[in-house]
Amino acid sequence: MRYVHLYFTCIKRSMISRLEYKKDTIVALFSFFFSNLCSLAALYFILQAIPTLAGYSLPEVGFFYGFSMIPIALDHLFSDEFWLVAYRRVKDGDMDMHFLRPVPVLFQVFAETFQPEGFGELILGAALITVCALNLTVTVTFGTVAALLVGAVFGAVIITSLKVAMAALAFVFKRSGPLLQVIYNFSAYAKYPLAIYPGLIRALLIFVLPFGLFISLPVDTLLYGTHNPWLLSLAIIGCSAVFFALAVWIWTLCERRYESTGS
Amino acid sequence: MLKKYKPFLRAGAIDTMAYRFNILIWAAITVCEVACMVFLWLAVYRSSAGGIDAEIHGFTYREMISYVVLTTIFNFVTYNNDTLWNINTDIKKGTIGNYLIKPISYRGKFSATSLGTLLTMTALFGLPLYTAALVTLGVLGFLPGLTFPAFFAHLGLFLLSGLCASLLNDTISYIFGVLCFYTSSGWGLNSLKVTLISFLSGTLLPIAFFPAGLREVLDWMPFAGMSQNPILILMMKYDLARSLGSVALSAAWIVVLELLAKFLFMHAVRKVTVQGG
Amino acid sequence: MIEVNELTKVFQKPIRGNGLSGMVKTLFSRKYDEIRAVDGISFTVPDGEIVGYIGANGAGKSTTIKMMCGILTPTSGSVRIDGMEPYRMRRQVAQHIGVVFGQKTQLWWDIPLIESFKVLKEIYQVSDADYRERMGFLGEVLDITRFLSQPVRTLSLGERMRADLAASMLHNPQILFLDEPTIGMDVLVKEKIRLAIHALNKTYGTAVVLTTHDMTDIENLCSRIILLEKGTILYDGPLARLKNRFGNLKTLTVSVPAEIHAETAPVFSPEVDVSEEDGRMILRFDADKVALEQVVQYAFRDLKAMDMKIAEISIGDVVKTILEQQEAEHAEKV
Repeated sequence: MRYVHLYFTCIKRSMISRLEYKKDTIVALFSFFFSNLCSLAALYFILQAIPTLAGYSLPEVGFFYGFSMIPIALDHLFSDEFWLVAYRRVKDGDMDMHFLRPVPVLFQVFAETFQPEGFGELILGAALITVCALNLTVTVTFGTVAALLVGAVFGAVIITSLKVAMAALAFVFKRSGPLLQVIYNFSAYAKYPLAIYPGLIRALLIFVLPFGLFISLPVDTLLYGTHNPWLLSLAIIGCSAVFFALAVWIWTLCERRYESTGS
Repeated sequence: MLKKYKPFLRAGAIDTMAYRFNILIWAAITVCEVACMVFLWLAVYRSSAGGIDAEIHGFTYREMISYVVLTTIFNFVTYNNDTLWNINTDIKKGTIGNYLIKPISYRGKFSATSLGTLLTMTALFGLPLYTAALVTLGVLGFLPGLTFPAFFAHLGLFLLSGLCASLLNDTISYIFGVLCFYTSSGWGLNSLKVTLISFLSGTLLPIAFFPAGLREVLDWMPFAGMSQNPILILMMKYDLARSLGSVALSAAWIVVLELLAKFLFMHAVRKVTVQGG
Repeated sequence: MIEVNELTKVFQKPIRGNGLSGMVKTLFSRKYDEIRAVDGISFTVPDGEIVGYIGANGAGKSTTIKMMCGILTPTSGSVRIDGMEPYRMRRQVAQHIGVVFGQKTQLWWDIPLIESFKVLKEIYQVSDADYRERMGFLGEVLDITRFLSQPVRTLSLGERMRADLAASMLHNPQILFLDEPTIGMDVLVKEKIRLAIHALNKTYGTAVVLTTHDMTDIENLCSRIILLEKGTILYDGPLARLKNRFGNLKTLTVSVPAEIHAETAPVFSPEVDVSEEDGRMILRFDADKVALEQVVQYAFRDLKAMDMKIAEISIGDVVKTILEQQEAEHAEKV
C-alpha cells in the first residue's frame, strides 16, 4: 500500500517534469505517431506489390500490426526509464542517488518516469484494429476476446520483464543499451503472422523471446480459431509470471554488482 | 589547425573500444535479426504473383537479401553517434557555456568525435564484415550486378559515400541537437530523427517500393544518400554516373545542412539563455 | 555513530595500450593496474560530532565517504553505521544518513524544488507533522523558502546546495555526509552554508562528516579533523592540537615608517623571523619560546610600529606544511 502511494507521488513528479518540457512532449507525441505511420506505410507499400502475405489479406496483416502496438504501448507507458539505465545512467555514474534511498532501486527506476506518449500508440493501435476489423468477417467469442486482452496486458508484463533484465546487465557491463535495443527490436517481427517464418524462428518467437506467443497466437486464434483461447491465455499468464520472476532475480543479482565511480 | 580536435577523435575511438562486450553481443543477436528480416522478404517474394523468382520493383529476392545484409552492416558501422544526446545534456546541465568560451568550435568537437568513431568502427568491424558479406553473397550468386574490375571504382565511391552518410548523420543529429534549445529536451526530437532517417533513407524499405510522387521527391533529398545509395553503389545497382551523382548530391547537402546548422546554432544561442549555472 | 575499521579500497584500472594496435590488444585481453585509494584506515565518529575530512585531490576522501554511505564496497575492512554495514544493509542505513555531493544534486532537475521535497517526504516516510516542523526549521536556517517554487535548474549554486542540504535533512538523519559542500561558492554564500550546518548540528545533534578544500570551513565548523594522504591517515584529532604541532606559532604584522627595513633593523632574538612584505614587517615566532608581550614591545620600541595585527598560524598553512614534509620524505625514499 505504501508503495502504491509512493508510486503515484513519483509519477505525479514525472508528469510535472514533462509539463516543464511541453514543446518536447508535443514533438514526442508527433514523432511517435509519425514513426508508427512510417512503419505502416512501409508495410502498405510492400503489400501493394503482392496479393496476400502467406495467405493473409491486407486487413488481416493490418490487424496483426495494430494489435502488436497495444502491449508495446502499455510497456512504454510504465518502464521507459530502463532505456536510460541501460544506455547512459550506469555508465555516467548517475545511479548513486537511487542507492542512497531507503526504497528498492528497481522500484525507484519504475517510478522515475511515466511516458504519456504510450497513449498515442495505444490509440493508434486501437484505431488500426477497429478499421481492419470492420473489413474482416470473423466470429467473435468471449474466449477469443479474453485471449486478446490477456495477450495485451500480460504481454506488456513480458516486454517490461525483458527490459528490466537487459537493463540490469548495465550494472555488470556499464552499458547494455544496444543489447536491450536488439532484444526489443524483435517485437517488430511479431507484427506479422508467424506463418511467414520457418519453424525455428517461429519456435524462437514463441518460446525464447515470446513476442509471437502473446501477439501472433491470440490474433491467429481470433481469425482462424487455431488455438484454444483459454489454454492460450493460461500459457501467456504463466509465461509472464516466469519472465517477471526471472527479471527481478536478474536485477537483484546485477544490482549487487553496482559500485559508484571511484575517486 | 585540426590538431586540437585530436583528443575528441581519440575519445570517440576509445569509447567505442570500451564497450566490446556490447558490440560482441550485439553482433550475435543482429545476425538473428537479419535472419528474421530475410524470412520476411522470402515470404513476400513467395507470396508474389510471379513466385519466388519474380522481380519486385527492380529487386530479385537475392538482391533484396543482399540489400538487407549490407544495410545492417552499414548502419552498424556508420551510425554510432551520440551528438544529439550530448548537446541535449550540455543544454540541460548548463555545461554548454563552458564550450562556448573554449577556443574550439562546438560543432567541430562533435564532428571529430563522430569521425573518430567512424574510422575505428570501419577499420575494426567494417572491413572484416563487408569483406565476409561480399564474398559470401557473391559466391551464393546474390550479387548478380558485380563485374570486375569496375567493382573497385564502386568500392571507392561506396567508402566515400559512407563518409558522406556519416557526416550527414552527424550534421542532422547536430541540427536536432540544437533544436533541443527550443524544446528544452531531446526525447521527442531524437525519436523523430531516428524515424525520419530510417524511413526516408531506405533502411526500412528500398525507396523503389514507395509511390512515384514520394520517390521523385526523395531522389533529391539527402536521406537516400545516408543508407540506400551507398548500398546500391556497392551492389553496382547504380552505374558509375549515377553513383557519382549520388555522392555529389550528398556532398552538396552536407554543405547546405552545415550552413543551416551554423545559422540555427547562432540563432539558438542568441535567443535562449543557458539554463542553470 | 560511525565505526571505520581497517578500511581498504583497491581499484582495478585497465591499462590501455597506445595507438591502434594497443587498442586492438585491449579488445582481447586486459591487464589491470592496482590503485590503493584507501589503505587500512580506522576511526570512530561519535554522535553529534563534526569531523573535517581533509586531504589533497585523490587522497581517498570521496572513496571513504562513498563506502560510508554504501555505494562502494570495501576491498577489506569494514564500516559500521549504528552497527550496520552500509554496503550490506543499504536500505536500512539510508534511513539513518543524509548525503550531499557538492558536484551532483539529488534533486530533480526540472521540477519546482517543493515537488522534490514532497517526493522525498514519501520516500523517507516522514510524517506530516515532522515534515511541517522540519520544513519550517530548514526553511528558516537555510533560507530556501523564497525559491521553493522554482525549478532546481534555475537555482544558483549556493541556492542549490542549500536546497540539497535541506533535502538530505528532511528525514532527520543521525549522520550527514557532505562532500565538498562549499565548492565553487563565494565567501558570503559559504558563510551562510556554514552557519546552516552549525545550526543543524546544534538543533538535531546530527553528526557531520565533511570533506572540503576550504580551510575556513574546517576552522569554523570542525572540532576534529582527519587528514588523509595517499589513502592513509596522517593525523586524527582536535584542530587545536594539529595547529600546535609546530609549536604555538604566531604572526605579527606591523606597519612601520619608511626608513625602517628588515635587514637594518636591530635584531631582537634569533627565535623571531623578521621579513618585509608590501612595506610591512612580518614577524614570525613560537609564542611558547618567546613571550608575545616582549615581541610586541620590541615592535613598538625598535621598529617604531604604527599599528599591528596578531594572527595565529592558519590551519591551511599547517596542512600545507605537513603535506610538503610528507612529499619531501617520499622524494628522499625514491
